Amino acid sequence: MIQLEEITKSYTLGKEAVNVLRGISLQIKSGEFVAIMGPSGSGKSTLMNIIGCLDRPTTGSYFLNEEDVSQHKDHELAKVRNQSIGFVFQQFQLLPRLTALKNVELPMVYAGASKQEREERARDALAKVGLQDRVGHLPNELSGGQKQRVAIARALVNDPSLILADEPTGALDTATSVAIMDLFVQLNQEGTTIVVVTHEPEVAEYASRVIYVRDGLLGQNPLEKGGQTS
Amino acid sequence: MSLWENIKMALMSVKAHKMRSILTMLGIIIGVAAVIVVVAIGQGGEAMLKSQIAGDGNTIEVFYQPSEEEMQQGKWEENPFTQEDIRQLEGIEKVSNVVASSSEFSTARLREEETETSITGINEAYLDVNQLKVEKGRSFTSADFLGGRRVAIVSAAMQEELFEGKSPIGEIIRIGVQPVEVIGVLEKPTGLFAFGSVETYIPWTAMRNMLGTSNYSQVTLQVENADDIQPIGERATTVLNQLHDTDDSYQVINMEEIAQGIGQVTTIMTTIIGSIAGISLLVGGIGVMNIMLVSVTERTREIGIRKSLGATRQQILLQFLVESIILTLIGGIIGIILGAGTAYLVSFFADWPSLISWQVVLGAVLFSMLIGVAFGLLPANKASRLDPIDSLRYE
Ligand SMILES: Nc1ncnc2c1ncn2[C@@H]1O[C@H](COP(=O)(O)OP(=O)(O)OP(=O)(O)O)[C@@H](O)[C@H]1O
Ligand SMILES: [Mg+2]
Repeated sequence: MIQLEEITKSYTLGKEAVNVLRGISLQIKSGEFVAIMGPSGSGKSTLMNIIGCLDRPTTGSYFLNEEDVSQHKDHELAKVRNQSIGFVFQQFQLLPRLTALKNVELPMVYAGASKQEREERARDALAKVGLQDRVGHLPNELSGGQKQRVAIARALVNDPSLILADEPTGALDTATSVAIMDLFVQLNQEGTTIVVVTHEPEVAEYASRVIYVRDGLLGQNPLEKGGQTS
Repeated sequence: MSLWENIKMALMSVKAHKMRSILTMLGIIIGVAAVIVVVAIGQGGEAMLKSQIAGDGNTIEVFYQPSEEEMQQGKWEENPFTQEDIRQLEGIEKVSNVVASSSEFSTARLREEETETSITGINEAYLDVNQLKVEKGRSFTSADFLGGRRVAIVSAAMQEELFEGKSPIGEIIRIGVQPVEVIGVLEKPTGLFAFGSVETYIPWTAMRNMLGTSNYSQVTLQVENADDIQPIGERATTVLNQLHDTDDSYQVINMEEIAQGIGQVTTIMTTIIGSIAGISLLVGGIGVMNIMLVSVTERTREIGIRKSLGATRQQILLQFLVESIILTLIGGIIGIILGAGTAYLVSFFADWPSLISWQVVLGAVLFSMLIGVAFGLLPANKASRLDPIDSLRYE
């Protein structure tokens, strides 16, 4: 479902060009559960943003569900994000002045769903992540784990085929992380493709495949290769 | 996303920063209020001026002013309107009433008391058209006019003077040597320009019998339609000048000239209002733009989140545009309420009518919305162009 071909991304800082991604080719099939690992600054988030259509590659092509999204216009990308992709961020990224329910309704607001349908589906999504009794709470009335559950509910409410999570457990303790990862597993078993960026090997274990990024390139598992990498 | 959704969102955001929103609106509030007050008082004043010239009842006075030539030929008459004139005037199309009267000063006596009063002999239309209401006793009947009955209606001031405030109904007073029965007292006049003068009204026919008055000295026409005042007034002068074989002795005030004069004043005022409003609304608009820019920066992360969830540029643009329109619209509405209240207070204390026309209110509403659009576009555009990734990272 995801097909990246020779993706590069570079920024120009002053006169210098910074090549963050230097040619990444990658395929992820529908229904996979993939973890992306790699050192800090290696370009994992940048890669995720490109996969999530939040960002465009400098060169290379990207097919999502057989569509060449690297050629899409801004409003088409917005539609892809709205319909096909759900994001979960390390910092939760909930709107602080909206209740859990309203936060979860947001993607459907932009999809143009009716008020009644929105509320119904948002409640269902919150129930799915175990927050049926917290619908009226504001984000700052929720614990970190609960916030991340709201964010997951929001990510899945439009029934996307792909959920992208950039260090979703980065701000959570171990027990909470396990619960959150179990949620992803459950979603994956229901058929949603999941890509998770993480630093934690425990988290990566949930995935069926691990991709390593190093200096903007795909690399081998450094643990398997042992001391051979320089 | 529907417009209503955007409006609700904007209202929420305005409510979340009440103080800031009010301060932002201040320029708009003051601008709109100023316009409403000035226009209300101006239009009130204009209406008052016009009504004082034209009278409230679509009336126009015909006056007699012979040229010097005619004066030298001895064509001057003290009471220049004959009964035949009145009949002819009544025959003119679209004339609803012809008010005719003749007055003199005389002494009125009640036993030992006496006072100077104007005696006005009136025809049947007089009281109604001049909006004189009988407060005590009764008014004249047609029989009083036809029979020339010696009955009188006196002003409130006359009641004070001659009857020391006691009820004069049924009392016989003497005008000169002629006895007249008082049958009614007029309502006290109200308003800024009303003076309570000592007046006695009797049927003109009675006056003719008592004092030998042969004609009328004053004639006022009442027409059906305000627009017809001028042409019918002129028609009346033609008729009268023909009847009396005079050139231009019978005249009416040229309303158009006066209207033009008033119009000039109005134009000057409109210019002044325009400048006040323009400057104040400009400043208000800049204030709105400023706050909206701050708000966009503050909410960078919110914008990033919304974009990551699928909001398009247009949707973000609309969100912020609606917000600035709501700000200026609420400001405009507060301004209207404030302006209307002030105009009402001014008219209450200065006894000056104030007119708040729906056109001005509608104009104010539309204009404040326009300000919202004009000064909201820049911030909204800025918001819509924010990069989602940078915005999500914004601290
Ligand atoms: N807008 C930008 N302009 C310039 N350089 C950028 C920009 N965004 C990212 N970078 C650079 O790209 C590199 C990769 O960043 P990225 O956020 O993808 O790393 P990461 O692998 O997610 O790291 P971490 O594990 O710390 O989150 C970094 O060196 C960063 O400085
Ligand atoms: Mg990262």
